[in-house]
Amino acid sequence: MELLGRILMVEDDPKDVELTLTALEEYNLSNEVIVTHDGEEALDYLYHRGKFQTRANGNPAVLLLDLKLPKVDGLEVLQQLKSDEKLRMIPVVVLTSSREERDMVASYKLGVNAYVVKPVDFHEFVNAIKELGVFWAIINEAPPGSIKKK
Amino acid sequence: MPRWKLSSPKIPSVIQRYGLAILSVVIGLGIGLLLERSHFHDVEFPLFLLAIVVTVWYAGVGPGILAVVLSSLAFDFFFTEPVYSFYVSRSELPYYFVFILFALLLTWFSAVRRRVERDLLQSRDELEQEVAMRTQQASLLNLTHDTIFVRDMSDVITYWNRGAQELYGWRAEEAIGKRSHDLLRTVFPAPLDDIAADLLRNGRWEGELEKTKSDGTRVVVASRWSLQRNEQRIPIAILETNNDITQRKRGEEEVRQLNQELGKRTIELEAINKELEAFAYSISHDLRAPLRHMVGFTELLQKNASSVVDDKGRRYMTTILESAKRMGTLIDDLLAFSRIGRAEARESIVNLEELINEVRSEVAQEAEGRNITWKLGPLPDLCGDRSMLKLALVNLLSNAIKFTRPRPQPEVEVGCAEKQNGRIVIFIRDNGVGFDMKYANKLFGVFQRLHRPEEFEGTGIGLATVQRIIRRHGGEVWAEGFVDKGATFFFSVPSQRR
Repeated sequence: MELLGRILMVEDDPKDVELTLTALEEYNLSNEVIVTHDGEEALDYLYHRGKFQTRANGNPAVLLLDLKLPKVDGLEVLQQLKSDEKLRMIPVVVLTSSREERDMVASYKLGVNAYVVKPVDFHEFVNAIKELGVFWAIINEAPPGSIKKK
Repeated sequence: MPRWKLSSPKIPSVIQRYGLAILSVVIGLGIGLLLERSHFHDVEFPLFLLAIVVTVWYAGVGPGILAVVLSSLAFDFFFTEPVYSFYVSRSELPYYFVFILFALLLTWFSAVRRRVERDLLQSRDELEQEVAMRTQQASLLNLTHDTIFVRDMSDVITYWNRGAQELYGWRAEEAIGKRSHDLLRTVFPAPLDDIAADLLRNGRWEGELEKTKSDGTRVVVASRWSLQRNEQRIPIAILETNNDITQRKRGEEEVRQLNQELGKRTIELEAINKELEAFAYSISHDLRAPLRHMVGFTELLQKNASSVVDDKGRRYMTTILESAKRMGTLIDDLLAFSRIGRAEARESIVNLEELINEVRSEVAQEAEGRNITWKLGPLPDLCGDRSMLKLALVNLLSNAIKFTRPRPQPEVEVGCAEKQNGRIVIFIRDNGVGFDMKYANKLFGVFQRLHRPEEFEGTGIGLATVQRIIRRHGGEVWAEGFVDKGATFFFSVPSQRR
């Protein structure tokens, strides 16, 4: 069996979380998804802080990042991540409702690896999530230090 | 001017001058001889003196001395014993000596007096000339309409020209002798001491002053002061010229106020624009998410629960999905519409023929299966934002394709109408269903539709978008049409770069 990368999802909307997990279920990817609900929690996970103090070592294979988040927003998380020597290799995919050019430009300037606009159409949405999951968790060779599971 | 003018003495020639000496002595001698014949005695002496004095007076010192010599000889020859001989006895020598001395003294006095008088006359003439010149200058100053006046160092007006009278309303008689700052109630832009110091240092000062006319109205003048010094470099007077700039100042003030107002408006507009941007941004983010959820969960419901739901329920689910998708399109169109207003226009020369072909291939799928006859006239280059113009043309062409759908032989024509006063007019004509001209004003409104959704789909934002784009290019858009006879959409853009 191929190695499965762990997916860290940062999404504050529980309905989006549910839809995303439903989409990933079909490829049995949902078990390896860690869900955090705001930027702070995501950073806590990455830095082993708070309730993630005792988690196993290793970085996620990919970070699915929403931009509009409570407390610390997506762009701030991205900035923090890409300026940290230990975390900057984690591939980051911005997954957002915003089609605004300035969000896109800001994200790419901060070094995002992909920018995906959540399609309104459910089929397209499911397909997009699946393809993302498959690509980043399976096809893509995650950088060294990522958590993998047989 | 009364004059007892001796005129500037014409200088007589040497011959005339010395001739006068000889003549006066001869006349004196003649008269003396005649009087002696008539037995008058001792008149020759004063007669010769008179001749000498006349000579000195009119002919100068040289001829005077000649007259003295001639007089002495004549006196000796004709009037002293022995008569008709130049012999002078020893005893008469003092007499001659005194006579000659006296004559020379007279000569000297006369010469000095003459010289003094000549000098006096000369300086009087010079003075007269100067007065004439000054008078002329003063009347020249009076000719100008510029306001000029002179004041002495204690600010008392000493000269006041016609321009000053015209501007301030005071006549010269009223103004001269008054203190100018009091008369004109001058308001200085800086302390007067500073201005005075500046004037003394540079010999001049320039600035804007506020003064008051005789009727009490305030005027703003551009004022120039020049300091006049005497030969000892001591300042004696100030020449001040004033130009009335009240109108200009008022104009400037109005412009300033308008600019201020404009600045305020701009800030307000910017704030509104920012607000709108934030609004559009949050629509983009927050309005899409619930839609996605509606669609997502309804589809999950369709997938998982279709076995327990009857046909009616399935139709409801389909309706929910369709409505949500339509709302998604509306939101996207609205966002695109609002973006036109916010986006910065990037001007360039746009090859319209190329752009039309591009747009045609983009909207081709909407015309799939139909054989549309395209008529493309020669099109000029336009100056504008290419992507915006493209969006406008996409809307116009897809409208043409949409509304010719019922036609068996659809035709769409794109051409350039005549240029109208510096504007290029482009038209897009179709032979579609057309529209009633009485609704022409509704065509370009947001969410305005002239057809039912079952007939022709659409959000009612397309033509509003077109209008917004064309207006941003400084142009206009309008349409002509008849029900069932097709429609023509026109838009104009300035032919030159703005």
